[in-house]
Formats: sequence, structure tokens, C-alpha cells
Amino acid sequence: MVAPMAGRLVALGRRLAAPARAWLPGLTQVRWSRYGPSYLEPELNKEVYRKPLEELSEEEKTQQELKALQPIKAAASNVTSSVFSDPTISKFTNMMMKGGNKVLARSIVTQTLEAIKRKQIEKYHQASEEERESIECNPYIIFHQALKNCQPIIGLCNIQKGGKTYQVPSPLTDNRKRFLAMKWLITECREHKHHRTFMHEKLSQELLQAFNNEGPVIKRKHDMHKMAEANRAYAHYRWW
Amino acid sequence: LAAPVYPAWLGRLAAGRQRRAPAVRPARPLVLANQVANRRLRLGEATCTTEMSLLMACWKQNEFSDAACAKEIQTFYDCVAKTDVEHKERLKQESLGHMGNLSPKTVNKLLRRFPNITDDF
Repeated sequence: MVAPMAGRLVALGRRLAAPARAWLPGLTQVRWSRYGPSYLEPELNKEVYRKPLEELSEEEKTQQELKALQPIKAAASNVTSSVFSDPTISKFTNMMMKGGNKVLARSIVTQTLEAIKRKQIEKYHQASEEERESIECNPYIIFHQALKNCQPIIGLCNIQKGGKTYQVPSPLTDNRKRFLAMKWLITECREHKHHRTFMHEKLSQELLQAFNNEGPVIKRKHDMHKMAEANRAYAHYRWW
Repeated sequence: LAAPVYPAWLGRLAAGRQRRAPAVRPARPLVLANQVANRRLRLGEATCTTEMSLLMACWKQNEFSDAACAKEIQTFYDCVAKTDVEHKERLKQESLGHMGNLSPKTVNKLLRRFPNITDDF
């Protein structure tokens, strides 16, 4: 009596569920979107709407007509159409955030940028006329360049072969490089910091050092490259 | 299901040639499963190894400085981007089934949508 009932339930579950593992007895889906498939993504760039009608190409015109008819999703709360919003800075703030305290993370990042600007302006005023042109004062440019200098070019992958795990040099995706650069920066600032130094002070020091291609984060990147170079014999263990 | 009991005449279906001792009876029922074994169809090779070795030689000469090896780095990135595009194309073709046999992943997806129904209810 019980066995055919259980079998009936399993068969019913199998037939109701379109994707595999979406329905199991006792479990309900929690992560679903309240938007249907016809909802379009919102356009955050203000410049797109400021363009006069004549400059638009044919496909842009059809896209705008489509947007007038189809429903559009609400924009996420962490994105803005302001000129000050920067996706890299947002990503960095999120990675620095602990326990959901975005206010604290954002204030640290703003204070870091301010500290960088102050240091560069001090250097600018103390420098001679010829050197003044080469000093970069824009903290956003310094941040992006420092991050780019910290990104590794080749990463190491763990590949198991014949019972042993080898560290095989392999290319990295852009997202992975950016993540590693940010992770190294934050870890370095958290671990090797005097407990009486503020985080924004230490971060500004590390960013300025990375901008000049020196400092512990750049050293860590070089260590990764040296490991990859030492293991170049295993490069053929990759299969992708 | 217990071990299936086949009628006796099934063993004599191969009539016309010499009757010999019946072959091994199947231990499990002869029912198609709803998934295929996930074996790697074809072993790929490591891509961009020449560019990588050139880059590493340049690094060894210039003490791992990125400014000195900018050209090698650019060629390496171009190679990686090219092989990425090819890889995605190949995966798409595999899933559509244009390259000979279907991959085990595609077959499993199809079988999950159209399974072999073994129950009566």
C-alpha cells in the first residue's frame, strides 16, 4: 500500500518538474525572479536619452520603440545614473564590506580616495615645475591604474593526474584577474597593518605603491608569475 | 523488479543455426536508464602554450617586469581571446549536435525531458 503510493508521488514529481532537481518532496524554490521573460533591463546611461532623434541609427530607433511597449525591470539599489558611480569602485566596496555594513565600507573607500588626493596634491605643490606635469592627482585614475598593475597575467590551476595534484599555469578570465587584484589588496591591508592605523590610510599607501609598480601586492603578483614560470613543464596537463 | 523471467521460446529465437548453451542471462532488467555515462569524448590539448613560453622567456630576461614584455603579453591575450571564442563555438556546435555524435551532457538533458517511463501509474 505504501510502496505504490511513494512511487506514485515520485512519478508525479517527475512529471511536474520541468528542470531536474527543481521539485523534491519537502523542498520549495526560494530563489526566483518576480519578472517574466518579457521584462527588459533598465538603461542607466543618461547620455543615451539625450541623443537627438536624427543621430539614432535604425536599430536604436526600433529598440526605443520596443522599450515604450515592453515592461522594464526596476533598477537595482546599488546602481545609479550619476556621473560619480563607478562599477569597479562598487565592486571593491562590496568586497571590503563585512557583515552587510555597506555604509562603513563606502566611507572607507571615500576616505581612501580623499587621502590619495591629499597626498598627491601635497606632492604636486612641493615638486618643481618640470615634475608637476607627471604627477597624477585624480584618485580614480590612480585607483584603476593600481588595480591594473596588480592583476596577474597567468594563474595556477590545480589539476589531478595520477594521484598527484599539480599546479598548472593557465590563462585567467578578466573577472578572475580583477577579483584576485582586489582580494590581494584588501588582504594585504587587513593583515599587515598596525592596529592603530586607519584602514583608509593603509589602503591609500598600498594603492600609491601599486600605482608606482612597487609594494607587497605587486610582489605577490610577481610571486604568482614566478611559480607559473617554475611549473611551465606541466603546462601540457591542461585540456582546455 | 526481481530478476526477469523470460519465456523459454525467447532463447530459441536464434533458430536456423546450431543451438548451443544459452548465453549469460542479464542480472538486471533490460530497461534503458534515463542517463548516459559521462565519459570524456575526446581529449583536448593545452592552448596557447607557445605564446605562454615566449612570455615566460621574456619574463626571465627582464626580471618579470610587465612594461618590458608588453608585446608578448598582448599576443598572449589575443591568443587566449581567440581560443575562447573557438571553444564557445565548439561547445555550441556540440550541444546542437552538428559534430557527429551528441555529447553525453546533451543526451542527458534530452533524456531528462523525455525519459523512459517504466511505471504504470
